[in-house]
Amino acid sequence: MDRNQLKKWFQNPVKMAHKYSLHVVYFCTGCGIIEIPPSITARWDAERFGIIPVATPRQASLFIIAGYVSLKTLRSIIRTYEQMPEPKFTVSLGSCPINGGMYHDSYNTIKHLEKYIPVDGMIAGCMPRPEAIFVGVTHLWTLIDKDMADGYKRYRSNYSAYRANQEKILGKLEWPPLFPIHGEE
Amino acid sequence: MHIIEFIFSPLLALLIGVFFLGLARKVMARIQWRYGPPVMQPLIDIIRLLSQKSASHGVAFNIGLVMSLAGSLVITLFLPFGKIAPMSNSGGMLVILYLMLIGPLGMAISSGESANPNASIGISRKLLLAMGYELPFLLVVLALMKAYNTTSITEIVSLQRDTGWSMFTFPLVLSGIAYLLILPAMLGVRPFEVVNAPQEISSGPLVEYGGPYLALATLQHALALFIGISLFVNLMWGGAANPVIFFLKMLVVFFLGIFVNAVFPRLRIDQAIRYLWRWPSLIAFAGLILVCVTGS
Amino acid sequence: MTGMEILLLVAFGGVMLTYILGRISSSLRNTFAVVLSLVLVVIIALMYDKTGETIFYRGFFGIPMVLRINSLSWIFAMTISFIGCLSVIFSLDYMKVKERTSFFYAMLLLVNSSMMGIVLAGDLLTLFIFWEIMSWSTFLLISYNGGPAIAAGMKYIVMSFAGSMAMLAGIISIFTAFGTLQISEIAAGMSSASSGFKIFIVIVFGIAFGVKNAIWPFHAWLPQAHAEAPSPFSAVLSGVLIKMGVFGFILTMYVVVGLGTYMSLGGAIFSVRSILLVMGAITILVPTFVALLQDDAKKLLAWSTIAQAGYIMLGIAYGTSLSMAGGVLHFLSHVVFKSLLFMTVGAVEFRTGGIRDLNSLGGLIKKMPFAFTGTLIGVCGLIGVPLTNGFVSKWLIYKSLIFGSPLLTFVALFGTWGTVLYSYKLIHNIFLGQLPEKLKDVENTPLSMKLPMIILSFTVLLFGILPGLPLRVINKIVVSLGFDSLNISLWGIVSESGMLNMINLFAAILAGLIAVWLFLRIGARTIPVKQDDNYAAGAAVPRDRYNYTVKFYDPLLRMISPYLRDIFDTFYMKIADLTGYLSNGIRKIYTGYVGNYVMYIVLFISLMIFVQMKWSPW
Repeated sequence: MDRNQLKKWFQNPVKMAHKYSLHVVYFCTGCGIIEIPPSITARWDAERFGIIPVATPRQASLFIIAGYVSLKTLRSIIRTYEQMPEPKFTVSLGSCPINGGMYHDSYNTIKHLEKYIPVDGMIAGCMPRPEAIFVGVTHLWTLIDKDMADGYKRYRSNYSAYRANQEKILGKLEWPPLFPIHGEE
Repeated sequence: MHIIEFIFSPLLALLIGVFFLGLARKVMARIQWRYGPPVMQPLIDIIRLLSQKSASHGVAFNIGLVMSLAGSLVITLFLPFGKIAPMSNSGGMLVILYLMLIGPLGMAISSGESANPNASIGISRKLLLAMGYELPFLLVVLALMKAYNTTSITEIVSLQRDTGWSMFTFPLVLSGIAYLLILPAMLGVRPFEVVNAPQEISSGPLVEYGGPYLALATLQHALALFIGISLFVNLMWGGAANPVIFFLKMLVVFFLGIFVNAVFPRLRIDQAIRYLWRWPSLIAFAGLILVCVTGS
Repeated sequence: MTGMEILLLVAFGGVMLTYILGRISSSLRNTFAVVLSLVLVVIIALMYDKTGETIFYRGFFGIPMVLRINSLSWIFAMTISFIGCLSVIFSLDYMKVKERTSFFYAMLLLVNSSMMGIVLAGDLLTLFIFWEIMSWSTFLLISYNGGPAIAAGMKYIVMSFAGSMAMLAGIISIFTAFGTLQISEIAAGMSSASSGFKIFIVIVFGIAFGVKNAIWPFHAWLPQAHAEAPSPFSAVLSGVLIKMGVFGFILTMYVVVGLGTYMSLGGAIFSVRSILLVMGAITILVPTFVALLQDDAKKLLAWSTIAQAGYIMLGIAYGTSLSMAGGVLHFLSHVVFKSLLFMTVGAVEFRTGGIRDLNSLGGLIKKMPFAFTGTLIGVCGLIGVPLTNGFVSKWLIYKSLIFGSPLLTFVALFGTWGTVLYSYKLIHNIFLGQLPEKLKDVENTPLSMKLPMIILSFTVLLFGILPGLPLRVINKIVVSLGFDSLNISLWGIVSESGMLNMINLFAAILAGLIAVWLFLRIGARTIPVKQDDNYAAGAAVPRDRYNYTVKFYDPLLRMISPYLRDIFDTFYMKIADLTGYLSNGIRKIYTGYVGNYVMYIVLFISLMIFVQMKWSPW
């Protein structure tokens, strides 16, 4: 830890803690799951940056969506994202959540994930190597430092639009709105 | 002087507990050929958790957790750390045994309120595991109290100063071995990590805890670690007059636990109970009989 | 007329009047029953610290019938009237929906009055008469609900009769030996009796009181009876009625037989004391594990009652001043927290339309927070969490046993862990977890049920933090039975082997709670959520299916349940079956034809003539 780091710790311990204690809940489909184990085990060891996988969204602060997102899994992704405590960050892994990737013409997959939940960072590639995940995380740190990782704030302020998008593609959702919806009141 | 001890000993316990949690992660990482997180990592986690807005499931959800941590903090006032034991004259071993109920019970009430079956399964396992290791543990404690003819833990410690560590004195050898055999279960490390099994039951009782609640639960876990190790050192390894030596003894016991944790897989709960009720119980029972026969 | 005669007159007269008033108006009867039970509490409270004997009747073959009061009788009478009063208040709402309420109130008051008669009895005849009144009225109340309740009541009354007959045998042999039935005179005569006679007396009275106290192996009647009785009466039944056995044991062992004789009665190994202690230990161990198997809330509590009776037995049978104080204090504690638990379970039963099955309840904390708090405090007392009364009494028992017999202490301490398990099952399956759809409209506890719960919860904590309050009275009992006096302060007890200071502990726990609460407040604001907003691996929570209640401790139960067979219950049922079979055989003689009966008569007369001719005995 150099002197610069120490100064930052004293200036804003909460922000620093958010940077260096990213507890991750993974949502993996297809090839996404292949890239996660190397990154958290002995070869690359994500734990040295304080990044560990946790079992439930309640304990997490980072949501990594790895692989394509089908209609069925989107429902679970939204549910999981809403159950995470704020502040929370989302990173998508691979080309599929960005633009559909190799499933760009599938009737059953989501082409643009950021239409349904806010995504703070996207790591492109098919599939990106574990190094790319670490690059993505360092970018996320920069964003947290500059207060630009504000996906959860965007989700709150534009909740009506997000909810409308979600209901448009999924039909009726089983759970009540997380925040009050402005259009109806 | 006395009032300082009252504030000092719970804080010291918390500090050592959190340090042990961090050290555990670092040592485990090194055993697995990883670099590992900084030793301060649990503290960073706690700061982060305190700043997150968590979901609360009701009043008992909060109060149970508060009760659990408060109960554990009170135990640290009774346990001698070196010579620091501010409340040791208000009750002895029996009070400690009963105060040790508050922690699990508060946690059980709190996570029961969270209305998640994973939490209920975790609590069920936790109570069963406790039932498992209490059988040999109570036999060990009774043998100790009978052998030293006192229920006060400070007296047990001070008597060991004359006779040597009770683990290596004649009638208590068997009890010491039994205690060593059940120590991993009491600390909740593998192979007895059935309660918080994250892969099976989504970290069991902690499943609905997030933010400040998880911070409290982490502190409670740290304190439980401290209490388990400190109890063993006081009862079996002769305590210490000097806090530094006491801490070193605790460190040795802690490393023993971590090494066991690193190499074993997880037992099923019924396998765990079966193990705990077989050899450790038999040895502890033989130890108690030995003490009763040889004692005055 | 002395206070005791007035008391019994008011009590028994009130029973009649309640029944008559019930014919006129139910609200008048309810008011009268509450006032009457309050008056009884006041009268007994006024008799505090009095001792005395009075002969109230001489007519029965010239045997004087005596009432007497001392500190032992007072503490029992006080608990009886106190719990009786609370259960009457509790019944006000509970019995609203039932039929034959006048009968219920009259019987409830009759049970209380007869129990007061038992503890105030100064001779064995009075004791026996009130004992029988109590047994009968209890039977009527247990069978009140009909159906399976009648079978439970039958089991109770048959076992109770066996006990009463044993007691009658003891009373008759005492009368033939000493020519008196007054307890104070028997005690004097007893010191010169042979030790065989003493052992006989202890055994017959032990059976009588053991059946009532549900000591293993006489426990078979209790679980069904407790489960099937109406809840306000279950509180009385479990709280005070079975404690008449404890009263009887103390009376037999320390008053009639005497302390010095009791400690050395019997052989060296199979002494009466050690047998009673082992019975107490078994009574703790086995029912604790049986309670884990139960799915019926009241049956679970009933088995736990048996187990707690074992603790009391250990305390009073061990025979030192500390253990005696522990035993009597645990009796007091058990009265308070077990009545509280039966009342909270009764309130749940009342509000959910009679559901006692632990597998179909859940999540009621949101609907009945009062009952939850009551159950939590009661359960804490049952386990013996520090700051509750159960902790102090168990501490006293352990403390006295620990150096003398570590194995008994081990059984008692291990039983506590079993208690934790079944208590948590009770509280979890009723109040925690997901609320089922069908219980969505459950209302909060009614006021008449809240009031007893508040009083009892408060008592649990009060006696736990200031154990000196009950211990002062108990110390008088202990001294009057011939033990050394205890060194008691308001908040604790000092013995030669360690001390207990509850007020320090209270302050420490309070400070800890405040500190942790403040620490929690440092953290970010929390958002209250509904039970549907729950982690289910991303899926929506399935209604009514997201609970873990059935087979809560399955891994353990699969291991131990093959060994948990109730041998004695099977044995008693076998005896009952055998009796039924024999009686059925005898009934076949009565064929219903006159000719057969004439033939029996002719046969009998010819047999008599034959006997007369052969041996001429007449």
